[in-house]
Amino acid sequence: MRTHRLAVIVASFLAAAALSGQMLNPKALLKPPADSWPTYNGDYSGKRFSPLTQINSSNVGSLALAWFYRIMNVGPQRGVGNPDIKSTPLMVNGVLYFTIPDHTWAVDARTGEEIWHYGWQDKGGHLVGNRGLGMYGDWLYFLTPDCWFVSLNAKDGRERWRKKIADEKMQYFCTAAPLVVKNHVLVGVGGDAMDVQGFLESRDPETGDVQWRWNTTPHKGEPGAETWPDPDAMAHGGGMTWLPGTYDPELDLIYWGTGNPNPVFAGQGRKGANLWTASIVALHADTGKMAWYHQPSPHDTHDWDNVETPILIDGLYHGQPRKMLAQAARNGIYTLLDRTDGRSLVTKAFVGGNWMKGIDAEGQPIPDPAKQPTVDGSLVNTPGGGATNWPPPSFDPETGLFYVNAKEGYGLTYLTDDDPKPQGYGGGGGTGFSEPVLLALDYQTGGEKWKHVYPSGGFGNAFPGILTTAGKLLFTGDPSGNLVAYDPATGRILWHFRTGTMVSNGPSTYLLNGTQYVVVAAGDTLFAFKLVERPQ
Amino acid sequence: MLSRGRSCGCAFLLAVAALQLHAQEDMPAPGRGARGNVRAFLGLGPPPDAAAAARGEKLFNPNCEFCHGERARGASGPNLVRSQVVLDDEKGEAIGAVVAEGRPDKGMPAFPAFTKDQLYDLAEYLHMQVELVANRGSYKRLNIVTGNAQAGEAYFNGAGGCSACHSVAGDLAHIGGKFQPDQLQNQFVWPGGRGFGGGRGAAPAEKVTVTLPSGQSVTGTLRRIDDFNVSIRDSAGDYHSWPREAVRVQIEDRLAAHRQLLAKYTDADIHNLTAYLVTLK
Repeated sequence: MRTHRLAVIVASFLAAAALSGQMLNPKALLKPPADSWPTYNGDYSGKRFSPLTQINSSNVGSLALAWFYRIMNVGPQRGVGNPDIKSTPLMVNGVLYFTIPDHTWAVDARTGEEIWHYGWQDKGGHLVGNRGLGMYGDWLYFLTPDCWFVSLNAKDGRERWRKKIADEKMQYFCTAAPLVVKNHVLVGVGGDAMDVQGFLESRDPETGDVQWRWNTTPHKGEPGAETWPDPDAMAHGGGMTWLPGTYDPELDLIYWGTGNPNPVFAGQGRKGANLWTASIVALHADTGKMAWYHQPSPHDTHDWDNVETPILIDGLYHGQPRKMLAQAARNGIYTLLDRTDGRSLVTKAFVGGNWMKGIDAEGQPIPDPAKQPTVDGSLVNTPGGGATNWPPPSFDPETGLFYVNAKEGYGLTYLTDDDPKPQGYGGGGGTGFSEPVLLALDYQTGGEKWKHVYPSGGFGNAFPGILTTAGKLLFTGDPSGNLVAYDPATGRILWHFRTGTMVSNGPSTYLLNGTQYVVVAAGDTLFAFKLVERPQ
Repeated sequence: MLSRGRSCGCAFLLAVAALQLHAQEDMPAPGRGARGNVRAFLGLGPPPDAAAAARGEKLFNPNCEFCHGERARGASGPNLVRSQVVLDDEKGEAIGAVVAEGRPDKGMPAFPAFTKDQLYDLAEYLHMQVELVANRGSYKRLNIVTGNAQAGEAYFNGAGGCSACHSVAGDLAHIGGKFQPDQLQNQFVWPGGRGFGGGRGAAPAEKVTVTLPSGQSVTGTLRRIDDFNVSIRDSAGDYHSWPREAVRVQIEDRLAAHRQLLAKYTDADIHNLTAYLVTLK
């Protein structure tokens, strides 16, 4: 009886602890994710590497489904069909928060029970995807397809306020997960169709008001203007900011990838490098002033957004400790930079590369004019849509390998608008040939350490992201609808689970009440896994 | 264990020449449930009235083009395709007011003589120009036949190795009359099947032979293969599946020659071959 009472008291205490509030301790953002997953990439480094080891290479064979949550209450989405979860859920104080376009949910991270759902009625914008939320204290932030910046109360999903970021009538649309850095909420935009200007804004977490705005393209007379023919081309030059960046608290710099220039495939009206599109930029967190830039795809004409996660690596470079930044980009280029000053360390093609003539003194590729889109078609040894895309890569500091799901193959690009002043996309790709692969790259050289060739084709532009853990595991999906665990050192397959449809987000992991969970989305369903028996 | 057979590409597979559309991601492929409504996906609102736009063009060219440029892309006056007024307008209510009253402060004269219907037609012409830019599902290829047909014929019979499997008197007879040039070009560069087409559309059936531990082999068409399982439908129409570690899988690779060409083609080879095939009327 006495023990029973004690058990009840302990249980009540645990319940009270779990319900003591949804508030996110800002310090959680500064350490590798373990008992929380408080931001899109888990932490500011973008590594998507977890220090957790409860699930590890020796016991992963007994990893099993704990619960699943299927979206049943929204129906087909406009122009898209069945809901597809591309967001990485946040996990804070036992609650998972995730999105699809126009919708946000809070779900019990232990049981999968829905706690609340928030729905938005958009007035336009593309429903191509939504990558998730940002969190600050008790508040959640997400972007709608028609570019409203919405704050919700994490406790009950009630809307606090909404602020307009960009005009969907100008064909802006928003898919990004806001990134919270100190008292800044960083929000990026998308939009390729009407030649609008890209920008990144810092917004106040309490009021939603603008703190600073950084424009991807310069105005007349500003630095970078020399890389455009005229002010009109700059003002309509694109460079969207649609994926969350990363942050170095010591340097107080945020790192962001920028999208392709506009018009997208038709470059004849924007001769020059088109800064700062298709670049990696370092911005001071409090002001948005640019510290440095590096442009992996100068004068891009292939729709090769350079937004892919700039991963922050602290490690050795040729034997010396160095603060670095690594990116595997849509144009097939692996870039390693010194992130204090942007100095180039490595520029190496991991896929293709016949579109460039060489590499300049700053380590930036020199595009070959002969391989730009033409009216009759120009063949590049990079598949249509690029070598990779937004799905999150991962860096494992224990193996020193950078992992990316990629596509090898070929694409033909056509110019469909040969006007001296083209507009919009102005062209497009042919059907193409591509073979999906999982690549493990040596971070210091970009060289391939191992490659897993998936036996069936079928990566489009949305495919599984990657998670690595100190349990010596790499989790990702294959094109055939399996979640697979690999040995990150060798690429050997250790475990798999058939999710039915292709994994559609980046897997994540967290420790909750002593149990490690791995969570992944496939289409309209969130799956959570744990070991069948908790190790003693 | 997976191996690819090496047999000749005996059929000229006619894949649909889909224009692949990039950006953050692809637009939805047509014809799958609620997917495929490109205008809905892009959030472009109601489509422009094509008949009104055609009438509006006849008004635009003599009255507006002088300042606003060909296809309204801007000259001494502003580009109207990227104009906030045009993009916010629904059916001429905003555009019509500007045209009728002009913008004297900016040097634009008023056009008070246009009727309400004419203002609507002009607005729809501008909306059509927006449509042709913003709706990338509406893009049309320009004239892609730029190559040298004689050089293409030489490539067909020589370096390209096409004539090893194809015949212009046989499987390719009159091919130039059956397809548009850009479809033809797509069909020989991307003939469909494994890896081609980025998973779009129905891939042609692949012949597969599965050898069991007993040494017995089963032949059929491949349904699905991953690192863990393989499933087929045999010639009698029966379904079978096996774990990959238990069997040996051989997939007939009829398109090996097409795939190998991708690493060899120059752009001129492709254009010349297209120019040649187009002549096979």
